[in-house]
Amino acid sequence: MTATTATSTRFQQLIAEQQASLTPRRKIVNAVMLSLTGLMTLLALIPLFWIVGYVIYKGGQQLNLDFFTQLPRPLGMDGGGVLHAIQGTVVITLLAAVFATPPGVLAAFYAARFPNTPLGVALRFSTDVLSGVPSIVIGLFAYALIVKPMGHYSGLAGGIAMAILMLPTIIRTTEEMLKLVPHALREGSLALGAPEWKTSIIVLFPAALNGVITGFLLAIARAAGETAPLLFTALGNERYDIGTIVRNGVAQNQSFLQILERIVDQPVDSLPLTLWKYAQQPYPERVEQSWAVALVLMIFVLLINVLARLWVEARKRRLQG
Amino acid sequence: MTRVVRPVFFVLVALSFLLAACGGTPATPVTVVETQVVEKVVTATPDASMPELPAGSVQINGAGATFPLPVYTEWTYAYSYVDPAVVINYQGIGSGGGKKAIVDGTVDFAGSDSLLKDEEYTSGKDLQMYPMLAGAVVVIYNFTPAKEYPADFKAPKLILDRQTLVDIYNAKVTKWNDPAIVALNPDLADYLPAETITAVHRSDGSGTTEIFTKALTAFSADWTAGGASSIEWPVDKAGNGVGGKGNAGVAASVINTPNSLGYVELSYAVSNNLAFADLINKAGQKVTANADSVASAMNDFSGAFSDKLTATIVDGEGAGSYPIVGYTYIILHTTSMTDCVKAEKLLQFLQWALTDPSATSRAGALGYSVLPDAVREQVFAKFGEVTCNGAPVLK
Repeated sequence: MTATTATSTRFQQLIAEQQASLTPRRKIVNAVMLSLTGLMTLLALIPLFWIVGYVIYKGGQQLNLDFFTQLPRPLGMDGGGVLHAIQGTVVITLLAAVFATPPGVLAAFYAARFPNTPLGVALRFSTDVLSGVPSIVIGLFAYALIVKPMGHYSGLAGGIAMAILMLPTIIRTTEEMLKLVPHALREGSLALGAPEWKTSIIVLFPAALNGVITGFLLAIARAAGETAPLLFTALGNERYDIGTIVRNGVAQNQSFLQILERIVDQPVDSLPLTLWKYAQQPYPERVEQSWAVALVLMIFVLLINVLARLWVEARKRRLQG
Repeated sequence: MTRVVRPVFFVLVALSFLLAACGGTPATPVTVVETQVVEKVVTATPDASMPELPAGSVQINGAGATFPLPVYTEWTYAYSYVDPAVVINYQGIGSGGGKKAIVDGTVDFAGSDSLLKDEEYTSGKDLQMYPMLAGAVVVIYNFTPAKEYPADFKAPKLILDRQTLVDIYNAKVTKWNDPAIVALNPDLADYLPAETITAVHRSDGSGTTEIFTKALTAFSADWTAGGASSIEWPVDKAGNGVGGKGNAGVAASVINTPNSLGYVELSYAVSNNLAFADLINKAGQKVTANADSVASAMNDFSGAFSDKLTATIVDGEGAGSYPIVGYTYIILHTTSMTDCVKAEKLLQFLQWALTDPSATSRAGALGYSVLPDAVREQVFAKFGEVTCNGAPVLK
């Protein structure tokens, strides 16, 4: 008994001795590595803050109220804004959301409920492939499928291209969120006699809604920042103004559908598209304006992200009571 | 079994949503509005040449060359005050993109600096090109003087002749103080450095390159690299050539590379205050690229149009003709336009752009040259041949 305690103390002594001899080195290594990782973290953050700061610095000089409320003027004339692009971005993103959400969410329900059926596997596989397809290819696809048969470029075609782009994000995030819903909830609902479709809509979907909304808004933010698919579908339109279209439509006694058709069924611009066009123009004032467009686009995407978080927070609080 | 059927039902619902989105919405309302507009015109004013249409009711879309984009933008903006019924939208997606769009029929008109190829005429069926404006391609340069300019010395513009320009891009003349260049620039003789000339060219396919290389081909039999929108440059093989993307890329390369020269569109050089060289033309005269010297070149070739109304107008004979000049064209479908109101409005706009004094003066101010009368008459004659549903569009 005493022998064992002696050896154990001896053992502990040895360990303590060794630790004592190693401590300074370990401390130094620890300090070096810690500061190294910290430095690298800073380094990784620099580009982000640099981009944001520089865009604010360059774009801020060009921003004024006109920039948000007026159409572009021809070169050589002062002022003008990018109202057309802001409206176009909203129209395209809304269209994309309308087209992508129902099929995306329903497909996610299927994938979450029957992950191992052939269709479920195929769905998951093709979503992965689709999310890897370069966006310009999707633009060409929409051109061949929609623009060419319709005979003209349109915001509608742009919206559909964006919807295809958004689908994988929506399906995957919704599916993940549905999987996180506890089985007990589903089983409880089924045990109470609710049919499966009712369980899906009334129990599963609300429980997963936070995540679904987050994924949806992320998909929207991505679509809002895309240029390539729009080159072949929405084309761009510096004379696009929903206000004028609606005013003219009302004055000409057009029906709601006709006005809606005029809004979505003609070429429209978007912020990234305008940025891309302005930045490569040989005129310095256009290049200057493109910085402001970049700033507006950044704010737009940021707003969507912030709104998403606020919404989720508010919902959480309400659910908690 | 029901456990499988329900999800399948879900998928079907999802699919039908997608189909409804793709097919249903666009098709029906389009026809409604278009027929309504036509009916209104026909019933209200059957014989009037200028029917009063509601504001913003005719949407015309065009796309193509970026070279005339600034002036087209101004024209379409100004025209909204001339005829409020018409909204014209022109997008600079490049000559190639414009040609593809008009062949596919996805735009009402296309802009292009380069000519349609035979197969494009075949697949586009009834395409016709109309020259709208001409522009010059200028040689911009940047050399570091061999010794400093005296305080009161204002460096004169560089002067090049046709052969020397070919030799530079053939890498035969490789030094700034080459006897050929010195002989042309006696005032600069002491300042031309003994440095290698870096020749900058476009790296992307471009109408500017097409005009420039066609000119080089016309200048001298020594130029064997051909004239096209992109070629293999002899200077690249010699190791002192550099490519730049777009006018901006070429200009940036010239500005940032000491002792270099390159070519850009005149309007680009003008709007960015770049110094460009004067050229000795075929008649042996020194010419500066400007509206007059370009107009002179157009006049030299006013009888040279093919039946497709296209012409290469480099290396003109006239004493005042700038030698590196090209047209930019509008492309239209001549017989297959089905919306006659739109066709008429489009042609009226093009006529206005070519004749209205405010339109032509704006083009001139931006560094473009408007068509001389002799050429314009031919364009108008071709406009008269455009038909819609079998009837001529212009009365």
